[in-house]
Amino acid sequence: MQSEGYVAHHFPNLAQQEHAARLGMWLFLTTEILLFTGLFTAYAVYRFLFPEAFAEASHLLSAPLGTVNTVVLITSSLTVALAYHFARHGAGRTAGLLLLATLAFAAAFLVIKGFEWTHDIHEGLLPGRYFIYPEFHAVGGPMFFTLYFLMTGLHGIHVVIGMAVLAVIAVQCFRGAYDHGYTTPVELGGMYWHLVDLVWIFLYPLLYLI
Amino acid sequence: MAITTSRDTHVPHGGPAGATRYYVVWILLLVGTVLTFLTSRIHLPSPWHLLLAMAIATGKSALVVLFFMHLWDHPGANRVVFGTSLVFVALLIGLVLLDNATRFVLTNPGHRGTLQMEPPGPDILTPRGWPEPSRRLDMPEAGEPGHSAPAPSGEGRQ
Repeated sequence: MQSEGYVAHHFPNLAQQEHAARLGMWLFLTTEILLFTGLFTAYAVYRFLFPEAFAEASHLLSAPLGTVNTVVLITSSLTVALAYHFARHGAGRTAGLLLLATLAFAAAFLVIKGFEWTHDIHEGLLPGRYFIYPEFHAVGGPMFFTLYFLMTGLHGIHVVIGMAVLAVIAVQCFRGAYDHGYTTPVELGGMYWHLVDLVWIFLYPLLYLI
Repeated sequence: MAITTSRDTHVPHGGPAGATRYYVVWILLLVGTVLTFLTSRIHLPSPWHLLLAMAIATGKSALVVLFFMHLWDHPGANRVVFGTSLVFVALLIGLVLLDNATRFVLTNPGHRGTLQMEPPGPDILTPRGWPEPSRRLDMPEAGEPGHSAPAPSGEGRQ
């Protein structure tokens, strides 16, 4: 099928359809940014109120694991960007393989995060009144872990959603759906994944490196 | 009815079509990550850790948005939408933080003064007037400097 076959009847050509789809995706990503901004605002307020407790609580997290996860996520963003690049040049199979690599990186990210959370839960580094870590008495420590679990949890949900989206796109890539000039799903799915990366770029220093 | 413009006919995503810039951005992002980690381990006075980390994070996210998300190639409405979201991010965080920063400190939760202060007594809001100074638990005993509460001026209310 030629790329013109993908153009809906209310668009004059594929370029304008792509433009509209991209704009719609940016509008959606804007709502995602503002969703996370709510949590970042809560973080800013409570860090302003309890600066010492946040610094002390942050040291109870593993900065090396956080750094490894940052590298993993950045690399997964690279593979998504390359997948789009190859899809646009008609190499759907390569794009599919790169998306599989992205899924592997995403899984690695979630596994590392799972280890971190397991450790936190065993140590009693939990939100609010469930915080039972014995050697920590500064006011505001439980609030740090409330925000830590909310922010990394919401981000983790986005990672899972992104994985599902990219998995579907990867299958389509292998079927050759994007080999004929129509690559909008690869681009938009990739944009979603880059947003997940974007959020983590801010979460990493704010949670792990105070 | 859709309007066709000259932009629709030219090849989208102009500029270098190679994948090189993705690798360059990736390396820059890795450098930024290492830089964030290292600068967090050196000793800096209070606000500079946060400002430096946020500056690096902003730079990294600019790279992601411009090149991975192709805002560099896609001018116009996409940039306006993203830029507008940044304005609202700044408004939300900035104004809420400003609110807390400019409050009377005791109204902020967790302030040392709030936590140590005891309730002033059950009579504070009743028409019988202010409690006797000797019965007020929030009055400093020996008049510590900088810690004196305003003297109650409630004689006329008796």
